[in-house]
Amino acid sequence: MKITQQSTDNTLTLALDGELDASSSVLLDTELTKPDVLKYQKVLIDCQKLNYISSAGLGVFISHLQQFQDAGVKLVFFNMQEKVHNVFEILGLDALMTIVPSAVEASAI
Amino acid sequence: MLPRQRYHILFMPFLQKLQSAVLPLTVLSWVVLLSSTLLHANAAAAAHFGTPPEWVTLTAQAMFVAGVFLYQRAQPDLLRGTDFVGLLRRLVLGPGLLAIGCVALHLVERFVQFSTPTPDRTLFAVVYTVNLALFVVFLANTKYAWRSLVLFRASPTIASNWAWFEVLLGATLLLRLLNWTPPLTLSYIIIGGLAMFGIYLSSHQKWIAYLNRRQKWEAVLMQLALLLCMTIFVAYFLRIAQDPKLVAPTPQHAFLLLTVFFAAFYALMGLLVTLFNLPTAGIFEQKREEILSLQRLTQLIQKGQNEQEVYDMLFDAAVQTVEADAAWLDVENELRGTLHGKRYNIDEETITAIRTLLADYNLGHIEYLNNDLPNSGGFRGLDLKLGSLIVMPMRSAKRQYGSLYMLKEQRQGFDRENLGILQTFTTQTVLSIENLHLMANSLQNERVQEELKIASSVQDSLIPKNLPIDNWFEIGSHARAAKEVGGDFYDFLHLPGKRLAILIGDVSGKGITAAFHMAQMKGIFHALMQENPLAKDDREKFPVPSKFMSMANRALTHCLEKSSFITASLYIIDYEHGGFVFARAGHCHTLYYHSIKEEVSYFHTAGLGLGIIRNDSYEKHIKNQFYDYNPGDVMVIYTDGIVEARGANQEEYGEERLKQMLERNYYLEADEIKQQILHDLDEFSAGQPMHDDQTLLVIKFKAAQPDSLS
Repeated sequence: MKITQQSTDNTLTLALDGELDASSSVLLDTELTKPDVLKYQKVLIDCQKLNYISSAGLGVFISHLQQFQDAGVKLVFFNMQEKVHNVFEILGLDALMTIVPSAVEASAI
Repeated sequence: MLPRQRYHILFMPFLQKLQSAVLPLTVLSWVVLLSSTLLHANAAAAAHFGTPPEWVTLTAQAMFVAGVFLYQRAQPDLLRGTDFVGLLRRLVLGPGLLAIGCVALHLVERFVQFSTPTPDRTLFAVVYTVNLALFVVFLANTKYAWRSLVLFRASPTIASNWAWFEVLLGATLLLRLLNWTPPLTLSYIIIGGLAMFGIYLSSHQKWIAYLNRRQKWEAVLMQLALLLCMTIFVAYFLRIAQDPKLVAPTPQHAFLLLTVFFAAFYALMGLLVTLFNLPTAGIFEQKREEILSLQRLTQLIQKGQNEQEVYDMLFDAAVQTVEADAAWLDVENELRGTLHGKRYNIDEETITAIRTLLADYNLGHIEYLNNDLPNSGGFRGLDLKLGSLIVMPMRSAKRQYGSLYMLKEQRQGFDRENLGILQTFTTQTVLSIENLHLMANSLQNERVQEELKIASSVQDSLIPKNLPIDNWFEIGSHARAAKEVGGDFYDFLHLPGKRLAILIGDVSGKGITAAFHMAQMKGIFHALMQENPLAKDDREKFPVPSKFMSMANRALTHCLEKSSFITASLYIIDYEHGGFVFARAGHCHTLYYHSIKEEVSYFHTAGLGLGIIRNDSYEKHIKNQFYDYNPGDVMVIYTDGIVEARGANQEEYGEERLKQMLERNYYLEADEIKQQILHDLDEFSAGQPMHDDQTLLVIKFKAAQPDSLS
């Protein structure tokens, strides 16, 4: 799992590369727990190279969901592969989280 | 029977008889010797009995000497274990004391001769014969004691050399007996050659190496005493050789001379070797002591039950071995804080001073030897009464365990060897300490394993063993956990009015935590699926699936950690009316075979997992789905461990393959469909580790057969 950060004034983009399983989700959790994250208006998650997400990986997003909402930070997923999207959908997360096809739509939000 | 064995059987009794005849024959020959000497000495008796010829005396002499030596030869080995000093002591105190007897008899004879001078030679002859016997006994004892020493841990060659030595010595007995006087040169050659042989054998003094310093001193004294005894005897015989009263023929000259020579030379050699070994005995002993204490330490340390005991043993052994005048031991914990220590003959202030000084020079944790403290930099300032210091760290590849400090009052007190031995000690100690840690860890591990086993069997009891049986449907079930305990669960509950509730679910994560939540979910299921006595109509007596999910979500809100969630599906099958209602809370889609349409598809319904939203808005995210089933319909419910199982190329089993399996096998019995799917799954993921728990339920609906219901 590799996480690449890129930030502008109001947007933080995290590009996930690899499999988000029990061990790598700790990395992601560390990134999302940083207090700086809540200063952005938007946190974009680039899922283009995310091949797999385990329940632990989902758990990381779920655990920060409420916090992001409270702080008014928008959490947006984009470039999601079909099978990863399927996992979000089965769990019903697609109704709670913003998932858009590409970076263009993501930045438009 | 082998010829050799026959020989033994035939001759052994004879040899034993001969052996037991040796002592009586020896005594007899001495009596004959005594009588013949007396007859020679006493003219009156001689006149009465006649003078025996000389060969009688000589034969008696030879027989007596041979008898004594043979008898002594057959005695059990005088050496007991490695008690060399004991052997020498017994030799001096036993046969050695015969020399005093010899002197006493001689003095008595002199005294009698002096007080009542008489030409009668009887007393003289008796004393001479007795002393000869004493001397022979003494020599035989000494010779065979030396045999024990020469042959101590000797090679077979030396053993056979010794045997030849004995045979050749024995042969010299015959020289005199046959009354054959060889030419002077030849006798020199014979005697000289045998003497050389004796000298060669005398060089075998291996036993001295086994003595410690004190024993060496004792050995020197004992050997001196033996030499003294020998001198007394020899002096006596030399003295009386010139006595005109001596009538007896000279004894077995060559044999006795050679035996005396060998006995004396061996004693002298031993004495010298021991003496030369004395100065080095200290160092030799110290090395020996070091090896012994290392052995002792190794054995003791393995018995050490805890770290403290092991450190105590190290400390005591180290102080003893290097003969330190003062010492202390620092033991550190993993964070380099001093845990506890030991000190010997040194006060806390001095320790602190030295420790600080060493820390300043960064020497506290490395091997360090200083043999001249009063003249080295910082130590001069401390004004210690100590001259030498060794610092020996205790460390393994992993960590530092502390340091051992040894001090001596004199300068140049330690050498490289001390450093070496201390290093061996500390290495051994560290090994033992790490062993203790490993032992403790493996015990702890075993305990955890044991507890996991219990948890596993507890969890196993939570999975229903008896599937509901009815002729309206059939169920095949399968569950296996990736670890000892898992997060998958399913359960059944019969509800009044021919209804059956089926719950399946999966707790995020694996292992113990997941297992706890799984048990909790089972509890929630049974608690919520109770008949509500306040319900207005039958429909409200039991919660519908969506209501159940909302209530479960609320129940889980406070006990599920933030990043955990649970997916579940609840089906309530009404097999009287041929329909079912279900709600899917983020769980895998239900796979379904429609017998009318002859088609397999997934029920794609919306529904959020439990524990994701932890407030009442959850209700908006869960819905009921109603469906009327037809006989022959098949419902496959499962957890993601099935569809996410990995194949050889890390690809997932997937919903599509599962669907195809049902398309191919829908006509089979429920249990057979389950078997087919599992078989295909196992084939797919052969050789791959199991990532997640797997649960699979296959429910096949059947035509109503109300008649058979009774």
